[in-house]
Amino acid sequence: MKKRIYLIIIIAGIGLNSCIEEPVKQPNTHFGNLEALWKIIDTRYCYLDYKKINWDSVHTVYKVRVDTSMTDYQLFSLFGEMLGELKDGHVNLYSDFNTSRYWKWFTDFPANFNSKIIYSSLYLGNDYLAAGGMRYNIISRQFKKVGYIYYGDFSDRFTDSKMSSIFNYLKDCDALIIDVRNNGGGYLDLSEQLASYFFSNETVTGYIQHKTGNGHSSFSKPVAIKTPAHKSIKWQRPVAILSNRLSYSATNAFISKMKIAPNAIVVGDKSGGGGGLPISSELPNGWMVRFSSSPIYDASMQNTEWGIDPDVKVDISTTDEANGIDTIIETAITLIIKY
Amino acid sequence: MGCLFAQPAADTKKYSLVSVSKAGSLSIIDFTDPYLSPINYSGLGLGYTITKRKYFKPDNIDFSMRSHRNIIAGIAFNPAVSSSMTFIGSEYSWGAFYHYRKLNDIQILAGSTIDGILGFKSISRNVNNPINADAAVNLNLAAQVRYDFRAKRTRMRLNYEIETPIAGCMFVPVGGASYYEMFELWNLKDAIHFSSLHNKSGLKSSLTLAIYLKKSTLSVGFGSQNLMYEANNLVFKQQIMSLHIGYKYDFYSFKGRKNPAPINFISTEK
Repeated sequence: MKKRIYLIIIIAGIGLNSCIEEPVKQPNTHFGNLEALWKIIDTRYCYLDYKKINWDSVHTVYKVRVDTSMTDYQLFSLFGEMLGELKDGHVNLYSDFNTSRYWKWFTDFPANFNSKIIYSSLYLGNDYLAAGGMRYNIISRQFKKVGYIYYGDFSDRFTDSKMSSIFNYLKDCDALIIDVRNNGGGYLDLSEQLASYFFSNETVTGYIQHKTGNGHSSFSKPVAIKTPAHKSIKWQRPVAILSNRLSYSATNAFISKMKIAPNAIVVGDKSGGGGGLPISSELPNGWMVRFSSSPIYDASMQNTEWGIDPDVKVDISTTDEANGIDTIIETAITLIIKY
Repeated sequence: MGCLFAQPAADTKKYSLVSVSKAGSLSIIDFTDPYLSPINYSGLGLGYTITKRKYFKPDNIDFSMRSHRNIIAGIAFNPAVSSSMTFIGSEYSWGAFYHYRKLNDIQILAGSTIDGILGFKSISRNVNNPINADAAVNLNLAAQVRYDFRAKRTRMRLNYEIETPIAGCMFVPVGGASYYEMFELWNLKDAIHFSSLHNKSGLKSSLTLAIYLKKSTLSVGFGSQNLMYEANNLVFKQQIMSLHIGYKYDFYSFKGRKNPAPINFISTEK
């Protein structure tokens, strides 16, 4: 009896661990790391079909370029090049010695931003105020006052209290400019918070999906992203949002929301995009890879990966720039004063 | 469960004593959490466990109940030591056991437990998926073998325990879903799963030697926990090997702690 009970216990212990099949893990070799990286993108990256990328052929092309004699630097460079095929600023490979990146989404376009000019006396001036990452001042034109806020980083947290103080300082202004040019993104919740000051009702401003399987088009049903109207802080006069190609990621999401905000216009260049919410994974050698996994759409279910078109497209002219004038700010002022 | 207070000497009514076991542990841990990383992380953890046991009715020493609380925290690293995972886990379980005493010096306990697990693992370098929660409720089968013996006039007990999950539910996020979507937009679809042997298997076991001293009992032992579960095409693994040391005592208060409990106070440790 005693032996039988012991036997049952031992068999149960061994048998119960055999029901689930573990996925094959790649070894920490040059080829193993390539396979691991390729598979992560193949199964979890969200834009392969949307961008019409033949990822199988990328595998074929890059596999033959891997050589066991390669140094880590060479291997990293090759992997970076492979990830560059995705044409996505949200895709990076991180090692202890380097970070791969794809920057053509803004380097191939006009800068449309000159920080020397925005800090000149025409705009922010030397006496600008700064709170919660916002730099702000009042611009006077044609007997009208326009509030100007430069916000350069959605990782720079602001609070309702700070925004209330900023709006209070700008309360006599006829209109407002929020300049998010060269703002590469940050926290998505801050983009929602900032937009909430300009809505009078809760509004569906976009949708999000995520990958649900290994197929390139296996996505969940879209979930609505609702931008609430802030309970107590509201700016209900005209507002212009300034964008350029370096307005990316969370900034892109902010511009997408503001496109449908009442009294708002987007002026400048098309934003840089970065509509895919990125997450991280890892290779057997410890390098981390970041990639877009959840596509974000605008309120019309249009993909935002390639950027948001402005309501009024304008570039900084070389003549204006030489004269210390920001064409985009000046256009925005003209538009919102007339609004 | 609480203290039992002094009873008049003439009282012959039986009372169930609560036997309490407290132990600290040092563990070697091995985690694979594919929501955070497909790579296996290994490291060390420190834990603390409180187990309480008493008979349902002092007149019937065939059935006892056990509650168990455990907390463990630690840090683990990937094989390249380029990234760390911090973790904290807690568990509460309650179970009922039948005591089989037909064998000399050997007692077999068989029963079932229900547990609730809540823990968090974090890889801080991750973007938008830096944390994963371990949350589950399980119905388990459990068994225990106790062997009583004496060594140099000291009473000892060798105790072997196993427990395995049979059914329950668990939180497993979809691999591509960010915490923004789950907890800012509250889209938890496909994150809660029914679990049974088809997608969750595990075995928790421990071997403990209890040395009965005058007022309490010293215990040292070795434990292991193997758990594997699958949902949303993700296979999670946990292996924990622990060395634990602790003590047991019967939870009561009489006139003074020097007085042992009268015989009508029935302990599951007897």
